Amino acid sequence: MSLWADKYRPSTLSRLDFHREQAAQLRSLVQCGDFPHLLVYGPSGAGKKTRIMCLLRELYGAGVEKLRIEHQSITAPSKKKIEISTIASNYHLEVNPSDAGNNDRVVIQELLKTVAQSQQLETSTQRDFKVVLLTEVDKLTKDAQHALRRTMEKYMATCRLILCCNSISKIIGPIQSRCLTVRVPAPSIEDICHVLSSVCKKEGLTLPQELAQRLAEKSGRNLRKALLMCESCRVQQYPFSADQEVPEMDWEIYLRETANAIVSQQTPQRLLEVRGRLYELLTHCIPPEIIMKGLLTELLNNCDGQLKGEVAQMAAFYEHRLQLGSKAIYHLEAFVAKFMAIYKKFMEDGLDDMMF
Amino acid sequence: MDIRKFFGVVPPGKRQECEAVKKSEKVKNGEGESSGKKRGKETKVKSSPSEDVPKQKQAYKKKRIIYDSDSEEEAQSVKKAKQQTEKKVATPKPGKVLKQHPVVYVSETDEDDDFVNKRISLKPKENGTSAISSPGAATTKKGDVKPQAKTKPLSPVKLTPTSALDYFGTRSVQRSEKKLVASKRKEPSQSRDSTLDDEAIARQLQLEEDSELERQLHEDEEFARTLAMLDETPQKKKARRDSEEHAVLNVKSSPNVTERCKQSQRAKATNSAGEVKEQTRSENSKEPTLHPQSSDGKMARALTEKTLPLKPTSKLVALKQKEETTKKERGAQSLQSKEKNVMGKEEKRTPKKEKISPKKAESISPEDSEKRRNNYQAYRSFLNREGPKALGSKEIPQGAENCLEGLTFVITGVLESIERDEAKSLIERYGGKVTGSVSKKTNYLVMGRDCGQSKCEKASTLGTKIIDEDGLFDLVRTMPGKKSKYELAAETEAKKAETSHKKTPQKTESGKRNCSPLKREADRKKSNFTPEKGGTFKSVKKEAAAVRKLTDFKHQTVQKKEAPRPKGAVVSEGSENRTETLLWVDKYKPTSLKSIIGQQGEQSCANKLLRWLRSWHKHASEDGQAKPSKSGGKDDGTSFKAALLSGPPGVGKTTTASLVCKELGYSYVELNASDTRSKSSLKEVVAESLNNTSIKDFCSGTSSSVSGKHVLIMDEVDGMAGNEDRGGIQGAMMSIAFKEGLKIPPPAMNEIILAANQDIRQVLHNLNMWCAKDKSLTYDEAKADASRARKDIKLGPFDVVRKVFAAGEEASRMSLIDKSDLFFHDYSLAPLFVQENYVHVKPAAAGGDLKKHLMLLSRAADSICDGDLVDKQIRSKQNWNLLPTQAIYSSVLPGELMRGYMSQFPVFPTWLGKFSSTGKHERIVQELAMHMSLRTHACKRTVNMEYLSPLRDALVQPLKDMGADGARDAIAFMDSYCLMKEDIENIMEISMWGGKPSPFSKLDPKVKAAFTRAYNRDVHLTPYSLHSVKTLRRQSGSMGSSEPSEELNVEEIPSDEDEQDTVESDAMIKLL
Repeated sequence: MSLWADKYRPSTLSRLDFHREQAAQLRSLVQCGDFPHLLVYGPSGAGKKTRIMCLLRELYGAGVEKLRIEHQSITAPSKKKIEISTIASNYHLEVNPSDAGNNDRVVIQELLKTVAQSQQLETSTQRDFKVVLLTEVDKLTKDAQHALRRTMEKYMATCRLILCCNSISKIIGPIQSRCLTVRVPAPSIEDICHVLSSVCKKEGLTLPQELAQRLAEKSGRNLRKALLMCESCRVQQYPFSADQEVPEMDWEIYLRETANAIVSQQTPQRLLEVRGRLYELLTHCIPPEIIMKGLLTELLNNCDGQLKGEVAQMAAFYEHRLQLGSKAIYHLEAFVAKFMAIYKKFMEDGLDDMMF
Repeated sequence: MDIRKFFGVVPPGKRQECEAVKKSEKVKNGEGESSGKKRGKETKVKSSPSEDVPKQKQAYKKKRIIYDSDSEEEAQSVKKAKQQTEKKVATPKPGKVLKQHPVVYVSETDEDDDFVNKRISLKPKENGTSAISSPGAATTKKGDVKPQAKTKPLSPVKLTPTSALDYFGTRSVQRSEKKLVASKRKEPSQSRDSTLDDEAIARQLQLEEDSELERQLHEDEEFARTLAMLDETPQKKKARRDSEEHAVLNVKSSPNVTERCKQSQRAKATNSAGEVKEQTRSENSKEPTLHPQSSDGKMARALTEKTLPLKPTSKLVALKQKEETTKKERGAQSLQSKEKNVMGKEEKRTPKKEKISPKKAESISPEDSEKRRNNYQAYRSFLNREGPKALGSKEIPQGAENCLEGLTFVITGVLESIERDEAKSLIERYGGKVTGSVSKKTNYLVMGRDCGQSKCEKASTLGTKIIDEDGLFDLVRTMPGKKSKYELAAETEAKKAETSHKKTPQKTESGKRNCSPLKREADRKKSNFTPEKGGTFKSVKKEAAAVRKLTDFKHQTVQKKEAPRPKGAVVSEGSENRTETLLWVDKYKPTSLKSIIGQQGEQSCANKLLRWLRSWHKHASEDGQAKPSKSGGKDDGTSFKAALLSGPPGVGKTTTASLVCKELGYSYVELNASDTRSKSSLKEVVAESLNNTSIKDFCSGTSSSVSGKHVLIMDEVDGMAGNEDRGGIQGAMMSIAFKEGLKIPPPAMNEIILAANQDIRQVLHNLNMWCAKDKSLTYDEAKADASRARKDIKLGPFDVVRKVFAAGEEASRMSLIDKSDLFFHDYSLAPLFVQENYVHVKPAAAGGDLKKHLMLLSRAADSICDGDLVDKQIRSKQNWNLLPTQAIYSSVLPGELMRGYMSQFPVFPTWLGKFSSTGKHERIVQELAMHMSLRTHACKRTVNMEYLSPLRDALVQPLKDMGADGARDAIAFMDSYCLMKEDIENIMEISMWGGKPSPFSKLDPKVKAAFTRAYNRDVHLTPYSLHSVKTLRRQSGSMGSSEPSEELNVEEIPSDEDEQDTVESDAMIKLL
């Protein structure tokens, strides 16, 4: 018994539900028995990881699905011990170097080398390379990324890298150029609807098309999210009705309330309240850019056309600086303060115009 | 060798010596004290010689003689003591008595306390007479005594005339003694007839004096005492010099009295003229006029001119010459006495004045401290009030200098056109005083908007004049200028000093005498000063007598032996010069307990310490030779073995400690931070000091009794508060400044003291520095300088943030650098504080307009963001040179934009707390993601944002729906996601929003218990290692992975339901 999203995860390339051409290309890529380093990127819930696992299964057979979790401790040059957990099969190793925070460079250097320097003994029955799957590569520090460059070339014979990330904008050029980049776009609404209804069918449920559509839209083309929401709907109410309320994530609700608070009143006191709410979001590890985006979306709903552009530009400005800075709350708060100031001015000017 | 020497305080060892001499007689302290007191009274009164007194005095003399045998080290201290001699009274009587009862030892024992003081005084002889007196103490005694005896009958005469002078110069008696000595000497030798007349006059005068004394006694106040002490200390040095000169004089003059007189005088005059000038320059400079007493001085001068043709030498020299020629002297005396009679009124006036000034000063002190406190509070509430509405709308008037002198103001409410601080400084600039609360002394209540109710009421009940700010301005405009009380006090002082110089020796002497008895009676307990002086005086006299007695031949030897004397003079001269180079801090260091500022009260720290130390022996060892402790208080900490003095720098902890030791005659070893203070080294030092006896003790053969009396002062242990007595400090500083010829208006001095945070040492240093440049300071100069010298007091972040956003005058005074310096009080915390608190500030610039307010907020926030960007650069690239940039962005700009009134106390930055809880959440999520990773293949962010709610629901729903029956489902779900019980709790914790309780906690406790039981019943397999049981696990080694060393962590789980078959074959390790 597990969540649908995990239960009905396809395990072979042929069973993938969408982006079939890409699946076919991947299969043919692997068919020859070798492939270059891959850089797989795409939005969350598009099926990157699923696709990678399918690819590995295609390459090594069912053996890759026997996974184990390993805890490795690596001693940094500064004598600091770094604990990191990896997921490994006999054929591959999955690691998220960004778990080590600022020491991700050490993880890359040490871990990758140990794996890459060991040769496969039985090359007749096995591939002569192992695969290292690095996730969240876009969270790697620049140092770590540079450490990756040389390793990628040096151990080409024994090791293939599959890098997985949401966006390649944060990946340095040299790495991009060393990899075959595979973009996994988010599934279309139709794709999601299709998957939802097929999953429901497997569960023995009937899903109204309208609800599926709404779920797909609400999920923001995130299939996993759509499936999770669908399951929540099932728990909430069955049989489904087309106009049934779609449950949201807690943080989404909270974020929307925050945005509403901003729009409803523009005072220093309110700014303080909003700050408290932003802190709450941040402590729940909601990424600040998501918060910014969520706020903007909600705020734009309450803005006039002329103001919209201004606010959107503002948001972009602050979001950019947020990436450059270190304390997200400052920038979020500055954005809110700016919005309040502009909004207040806009509203009062509008009132004045109406009066005179 | 001994610091005490330099301070001229009683060397501790001596007392014991005295005792030793008496040997068989046991010292009874109680008796000694009482007798000492008696004697004190008597001497003061100068009543006709009574037998008791003489006896005592004899005793002193004997003691002195004994001391003569002591090493010469003490000579110096003796000299000092000599100068202090204020009691001439004592001398005459003893002399008479001596004749009658040559040796009376009994009385000695009784007067232990006084001995201590007198011992020093004995020394003077050492130099002069001791040379003559051979080692045998007893024989020398008699010899010495007799010559004195001759002189004594005359002395009372001199004493009486001098007493008149007391009225004039209480404080600044410097040269007096030598003159006295000289006069005494000569009088006996030359004319006795005069004495009779003189005596008559003297008696009359004395009556007056006594009454005056009594009056003063009642009026005397601690503060006056401290001031007086302060004044005396520097004079001592000069006096010492004088005495030395005298000595020289004596030597020269004694053999052939009058004839040689002039020549020698002249010679000396020329010699000493230079010195004298130097010494007296400061005092003489102000000689000139106004003072009522000056008439005396003029008279004296006239006399000297008559008698002595001397021209170029200073008047002082002239005076000296006068002294020596008895004729002239007599004349002068009579003249003086007449003058006194005539000018009785005038005289009386002057002392009054003097008294007034200290009183004023004292009244300031408590009020002042209170003022500070109140001001602080007022300022707090003031912050929350709205500011003046019409700032600067009125012109602030210019008033005459010190026009508000002596007036006390209380400001209440918000003044419309002037900031309160400004108003305060306005009043202070013109010499007024601003206090926080209305009292009887308050002259005006300046009332503004939102004034304090209680103040107004109190003012009306007390009949205080209530004015508004216009009234204040009018006051400033119209009030006539006055001289500051400090100036007045200082001037009178100076004049006194001056006149005393000019006057005949007796006058000055009397001045001193007047001083001492006063003090003594006021605090009899610590009357070590006065007896000392009396003693020294005597000794001087003795010396003189001895010298006189000598034949020419002997005289030569004496001279030879005294050869060191001139040297000594030279040395002292050198030391005089040295004092010029001395830091003021050292120059004006208190030399007795009584001169410690703010420690005069019976309950003051210094006195407590004194009592504690005194009774230490009694308490530490039962058989202690402790003196009776006068304190009956139970809080004197007698049960403790050590005392810890603590307090801010510069309040005089070390000074107090060493003075207390001196006072009680303990020798002390001082260890400060420059010494190593390990246990072993400490032991060494202490052991050494315990085994050691000073050479002088050894010489006197009393070393055995000394051993118990050591004090170890561990200085700078790290880190005795005075009673923040700024008034006291101010007075003291003013007198010092005056003595140094530095002109500073009192308000300016106040500024300086404030700037130094009441640290006397710092104040002195600052004064020292400024006076090097210029001898006068104005209020504004001082204020500017003071603010420059303002101690860098490290501000806490709360104060920093308050200052960052402070509006009004406080802000306008700060330069850009000042503002950015605020940031550097703690550059890691300051931006956080600013960011946390900028929203709480009501910006003055907005003027209550919400739109503007929001705009300012936004701009401040932008600037803070910029600061954050800079911060990132600094921390990630170690560009620490960008810190000033960050200071501007993170602190100065927001402060500048938002400047205004903070509606609440600054809040501690929540960012720190939030940051750490973010970290915690992150760890939890990461662990969770790891646990579930085989199933979800999701990164932690996805787990956090997408899985959390469904997971929680999936776990809680069955329990909620089916109660205890749902536990199985929930556990099955957990197992499928490899979750542990702890993970459940974590999930519940981090999926809480906005403080709402988690659905899990809302479950029935029974259901929860059932769930827990069900979970614990089964064994749950996890694919990951549990850190807590790591060592127990051993991998069965099915999967030979590449890292054998990591085997213990390696476990497996089938990743998918599809491969069911493989599950069994896989090595699964049971956990728990």
